[in-house]
Amino acid sequence: MRGNSTVLLALNKVLTRKLTTLNQFFLHARMHKNWGFSQLNNKVYQASIEEMKHADKIIERILLLDGLPNLQELGKLNIGEEPSEMLKLDDKLQTDDIRHIRDAIAVCEGEQDFVSRKMLADILAQQEEHQDWLDTQCSLIDTLGVENYLQQQL
Amino acid sequence: MYVCLCKGITDKQIVQAVNNGTASVRELRQQFGLGDQCGKCTFMARGVINEAMQNSSARQNSSGKPEIFVPSNTPSVSSSYFTLPTN
Ligand code: FES
Repeated sequence: MRGNSTVLLALNKVLTRKLTTLNQFFLHARMHKNWGFSQLNNKVYQASIEEMKHADKIIERILLLDGLPNLQELGKLNIGEEPSEMLKLDDKLQTDDIRHIRDAIAVCEGEQDFVSRKMLADILAQQEEHQDWLDTQCSLIDTLGVENYLQQQL
Repeated sequence: MYVCLCKGITDKQIVQAVNNGTASVRELRQQFGLGDQCGKCTFMARGVINEAMQNSSARQNSSGKPEIFVPSNTPSVSSSYFTLPTN
């Protein structure tokens, strides 16, 4: 099935963000693990795997639309030096991702590609869940203080 | 955070370099090899430099009247405030 080039471009842009985010999350997860924060490791590792699954869906969709998924392009990773900074950077990245997915959804809507639109909407719902978790962690750090917060993440 | 992941260079290191007189990404490249590998970091590095330069010039401008008063030398806030008399 020949896809609309505007939609393909939008999908590839989201794909680039997914590949970037999954790498950032993965490295952050293993840094948390290395420092002994296994709760954070579990949660962030899982989020990274989710990003991979999203990337997979987008790749398959692009192929189905006779496009070429670009797995070569990767954005800049924002890697923190300590857990609270890492969570804040992840929160910011996820917020930006959500904005871009919304933009892509609008493109699909405009081009009447309702299947791509639904796929992105499903992805968006999961993103919002993880962003909510990240928001909560950042505000917990603010209210409890970093030390108390991290004590609960062992 | 790591600004240049390829070379492991943090924002703090860049701020410190700026305080020591570094003023451009090119100089960071010479000093640390920042941007030599994938080059994705140069944009952010420029931002960090600009911010650090602004902060340091703001500090210089207000050097006469620092925001938080830190007494530079507190002549013997006599130790008797803190220690019980011995007798
Ligand atoms: S991140 Fe600086 S060269 Fe790759």
